[in-house]
Amino acid sequence: MPPNTPLLQGTLDVLILKALAIDQMHGLGISRRIAQVTGGTFQVKPGSLFPALHRMEEAGWLASSWGESENNRRAKFYRLTKSGRKQLKERTEQWALITAAMASALG
Amino acid sequence: MGFNYRGDGERAGLKGGKNTMRLRMLWRNLTRKQKVEDELNAELESYRQMLEDEGTARDAAREIGGKEQIKEAVRDVRAGAWLDSFWAEMKQSVRGLARNPGTALLGIGMLALGMTASTVIFSVFYAALVRPLPFREPDRLVQIWETRLNRSIDQASPSEANFWDVKARNRSFEDVAAAHDDQVNMTGMGEPEKVKILEISANFLQTLGVQPVLGRDFRAEDALAGWNTHVAIIGYKYWLSRFGGQQDIVGKTLRLNDRVYTIVGVLPPGEPWIDKQLYVPFGYHADANRGSWEFGMIGRLKPGVTVESARADLQIVASALGRAYAREDEGIGFRLEPSRRWVASNETRVALWVLLAAVVLLQVIACVNVANLLLARGLSRQREIAVRSALGASRGRLIRFVMMESLLISFCGTVSGLLGAFFALPAIQQLDLKVIPRLAEAQLNLWVLSFAVVSAVATGVLAGLAPALHAPTTRIASTLREGERQTVSRDQNRLRAALVTGEVALSFLLLTGAGLLTRSFSQLAKEKLGFQTENRLVFSVSMPGSYYERGIGKQFLDQFLTRIAVLPGVEAVGGINSRPVEGWDPGMTIDSSSRAESRVNHAPPWAAWRVVTPDYFSAVGLPLLRGRVFDEQDPSVWAEPGKPEPARRVILCERLAKMLFSDSDPIGKSVMVWKGQSNRSAEVIGVVSDSHERGPKSGDTLTVYIPYGRNALTSEFVVHTRGNPLNFVGPIRSILRKLDANLPLADVRSFEEIVNLSLSPQKFNTVVLSIFGGLALLLAVAGIYGVLSYSMGRRTAEIGLRVALGASGASILRLTVLQGMGPVLAGVVLGAVGASALSHSFVALLFGVKPFDLATYAAVTVLLLVTAVAASYFPGRRAMGVDPIVALRNE
Repeated sequence: MPPNTPLLQGTLDVLILKALAIDQMHGLGISRRIAQVTGGTFQVKPGSLFPALHRMEEAGWLASSWGESENNRRAKFYRLTKSGRKQLKERTEQWALITAAMASALG
Repeated sequence: MGFNYRGDGERAGLKGGKNTMRLRMLWRNLTRKQKVEDELNAELESYRQMLEDEGTARDAAREIGGKEQIKEAVRDVRAGAWLDSFWAEMKQSVRGLARNPGTALLGIGMLALGMTASTVIFSVFYAALVRPLPFREPDRLVQIWETRLNRSIDQASPSEANFWDVKARNRSFEDVAAAHDDQVNMTGMGEPEKVKILEISANFLQTLGVQPVLGRDFRAEDALAGWNTHVAIIGYKYWLSRFGGQQDIVGKTLRLNDRVYTIVGVLPPGEPWIDKQLYVPFGYHADANRGSWEFGMIGRLKPGVTVESARADLQIVASALGRAYAREDEGIGFRLEPSRRWVASNETRVALWVLLAAVVLLQVIACVNVANLLLARGLSRQREIAVRSALGASRGRLIRFVMMESLLISFCGTVSGLLGAFFALPAIQQLDLKVIPRLAEAQLNLWVLSFAVVSAVATGVLAGLAPALHAPTTRIASTLREGERQTVSRDQNRLRAALVTGEVALSFLLLTGAGLLTRSFSQLAKEKLGFQTENRLVFSVSMPGSYYERGIGKQFLDQFLTRIAVLPGVEAVGGINSRPVEGWDPGMTIDSSSRAESRVNHAPPWAAWRVVTPDYFSAVGLPLLRGRVFDEQDPSVWAEPGKPEPARRVILCERLAKMLFSDSDPIGKSVMVWKGQSNRSAEVIGVVSDSHERGPKSGDTLTVYIPYGRNALTSEFVVHTRGNPLNFVGPIRSILRKLDANLPLADVRSFEEIVNLSLSPQKFNTVVLSIFGGLALLLAVAGIYGVLSYSMGRRTAEIGLRVALGASGASILRLTVLQGMGPVLAGVVLGAVGASALSHSFVALLFGVKPFDLATYAAVTVLLLVTAVAASYFPGRRAMGVDPIVALRNE
C-alpha cells in the first residue's frame, strides 16, 4: 500500500463505507473522495482499494453495477447495501468510542 | 469497553445471515471464473483510463503500479480463493512431479515403505496393548495372586481353599472367581484327542463380564457337586475348528476322560482367559486343598472401590487366614494385578514399545529423505518461485505451493503404504507367531487409520517444511539474473548436511537396537542348557482320572516305558510330570537344618519340583554327580490312604545341594520339603548336574527331583534316540494304541524344536528390528548419496576449475568424500549419545549383553562409516571424471 499514514486495521473499510454513504461511486472516485475528506492524509492505492472493494462486496456490504463515468467512461460503480449501511453505523460508533478513548488516553 | 477492536471486514462478513451471500459468491467465483476475471480486468482498465484522463500516462502507470499484483491481491480476498489456488497448485504440483517421475517415485516409495511398516506395527501394538479387553468394564477387573513375602515369594497361584475363603470374606469385590488349567482326553469322536480345558468356578464368566454367543453361561447349580460336573462350554476357535461352527451344538455331548458332558454354550472370541478349547465348571466342596498352588483367581471390584483399598481389605483376609491355617498360610498376602496387565508380559510390552519406536524412527528417516529430495528440487525450482513472487504471490502462497508437493508425495505414499499394510498384516498373521498377544485380532481399524493419517500429515508437513521455509527467502532479482545456475547458498548446504546428520543419528539408534538384540539372541542360542537336546523326542500322554482312581496308572506307565525302551534305536526313555522349558512349573520351599543354622541366607530357597521315572536323567542327558538315581524301591513322597508315611527320598541339582549343604556331602542328609506347606522331611540320595528347567533365558533352575509312584505319575516323556527322533513317533504311537486306544499321543516335538520355540519371541524381535535397521541404513545411504551427487553436480564448474589448475583426481575424490563424511561423523556421534541414553529402556530385552555394549557400538559405527564412504565414493568418482573444458564452457 503504503499510504502517507499507516492505515489502522479496519480503517479502510469504514472510509470506503463513509465515502459511499451519499451516492454510488466508482473506484477512482472513492479513492479521490477519501483523499479529499481526510485532507490528503490517506492516499488509497489500487493495490489496497480493489481487494477491499471486492471483499466488502462479497461480504454483502456493497453492491456494484456498470455505468457511465462523468467522462463517459464505462466504470464499475459501488453502492452501499442495507447491511453496508448498518456496518457504517456500527463502525462509526466504534470509531467515536475509540477516538474518544484514545484522546483521553493520550490527552 | 463493549466492542471488538479487530474490526476486520472479512471476518464480520461471515457472521449470521451473510453466509448465504458468501456461498452465492463462492458459487459464482468457482463456476464462472472467466467472467469474474474479465470483469476484474475491465474494472482495472477503466480505472487506468480514468487516471489517464486526469493527468499524464506516466503518472497513471506509476499510481496503478503492478496490475498483476493487484489482480492477485483481489483474487486472494475472493470467496473460495484458497480452494481455487489449491486446485491450481495441486494441478501444477502433479504436473511438476510427473515431469520428475524419479523424484516422485523415490519419495513415494520411501514413504510407502515407512508407512507400511509403521501401520502394521501400530496395528499389532494397538491390538496387543491398547485395545480394551473383551470384558465388561475391564477397569474393575484384577487378578489376585498369593504371596509369601517372608519367603521372598511375590507371586504364587492361589490354592483352591484360599480362593473360597477370599470369595467369602472380602468386602471389596462384587465377585471373585477362579480358574484351573487342565488337560483332558476327548474320545468318541475319531482319534482320541488331548484338549486344553479351563475348569472355572461357575461364576467365572459372569465375573469377567462375558456372555456366551450361543447357549448359556454356567449356573451355580451346574457345580453343586464340587468337581463332579457334567456340562461344558466350548471356546470360539475350537468351536470353529473342531465342530465346524455348528449352530446346533448346544445340547450335544462330549466324552472327556470317560465322562459325558453336555455342551451348554459357546464363548465369544478373545484373549485372555476365554481362548481355551473347553470350559467345565467346578463348585465349592468342603475338603478343598489349601496347600497346592494351582489356581488363577480374578475379582471384579465393586463400583468406586480402588485397587489400593481392595488390597488393604485382602490384607485383613490374609491375616485371618495366616492365623487360622498356620501350616499352609503362614505369611500369606495377596497381590492385585490390574487387568490391563493381563495380556502382555512386561517383556512383550517393552518389545512392542521398542518396535513402535523403531518404526517411528524409520518413518522419520524416510521423511528426512523426502525432505532432502524436495529440497534439491526446490533449489532447481528457485527460478519458478522467483517468477511467481515477482508476479505477486504472497509468502504464504509460496509456502503453500512448495508444501503442496510434499503433501502430494506423502498422500500417495500413505495410500500405497496402507495398501501395503493391508496385504502385509494378514501375511504376518499367517505366521501365527505365538509371541505377540492378540495378534490375530490386529486389524486396520479406525485407530490405526487415524494413526496413519496423522503420521501422513506430519510426514508431509515435516518433509515439506524445510524446502518451504527456504523458498520465499530467495531474492527475486539475483535468482532471475543467475538463471538456472544458482549457487547453492551456505544456508541450504547446512540444512541438507543437518538432514544427513539426523538421518545417520536415527539409523545409529536403530542399528544399535538391532545389534544389541542380535548379540543377545546369539548369547541365548549359545547358552548351555544342562540337558542334551540333540536326538531327543518329547511328547505327552495324559492318563484320565479313572487311571488314578483305579490305581492302574503306574502299571500302565511301566509297560509303556518298557516297550518304548526296547524299540530298536532307543537309548533311553524317561517320564516327568512337567516338560522341560515349556511346561508348567510347580515349586516348593526347601530347607536343610545346616542351612537354617548357618544363617547366611535368611530365606530358604524356592525350588522347582519334578516327578521323574528312574531313567529320566539318562534320557534327558543329565549326568549323576553323586549318590544314585531313583529305583523301583523309592516310594512316592505322597502317602497313600491307609498306608504308613513313606520313606521320602529326593535328588537335588548341584546348585541346590550347594545352597543347602555348602561343601559337605549331601548324600544321606535330610531336607525339609514343602516348607511352610506340608513340612515333610526327606533323604537326599543323589545329586545331578544343573539344568535350565525353565528355558534358556532363566538360567540354571534350583530343582528337586522326586520319584514317581502309584500316586505320582508322569505325563511328559523324553526319548533319547539314535538318529532323527521324529522317526520314532509312529512306533511309539502304535505301542500306545495297543495299551489304550483312547489315549492320545500329544504335543509331539523334538527337544531342539522346543528350545527354538522358546526363543521365538527373541527371534522375532531380533529379526524385525534388524529389518528396520537394514532399511534405515539403506535410506541413510540413499540420503547421503543424493545430497552428495547433487552438491557435486552443482559444483561441477568449481571442480572443473580445480582440475584445470592441476588438482589430481585423488584430491578431488578426497574432497568429495570429506565433504560427505562431515555430517555423517556428526550423526554417528549424536547417534551414539542418543543410543546410550535410550538403550537402558531396553534392558528387559537383553540377555548377556550390557545396554552399552562397546562391541555393538563399535560395529555400528564402522558399518555406518564404511557405507557412508561408499555412498560418497560414487559421486566422488563422477566428480573426478569432470572435464575442465566442458565444465568451464557450461559456466
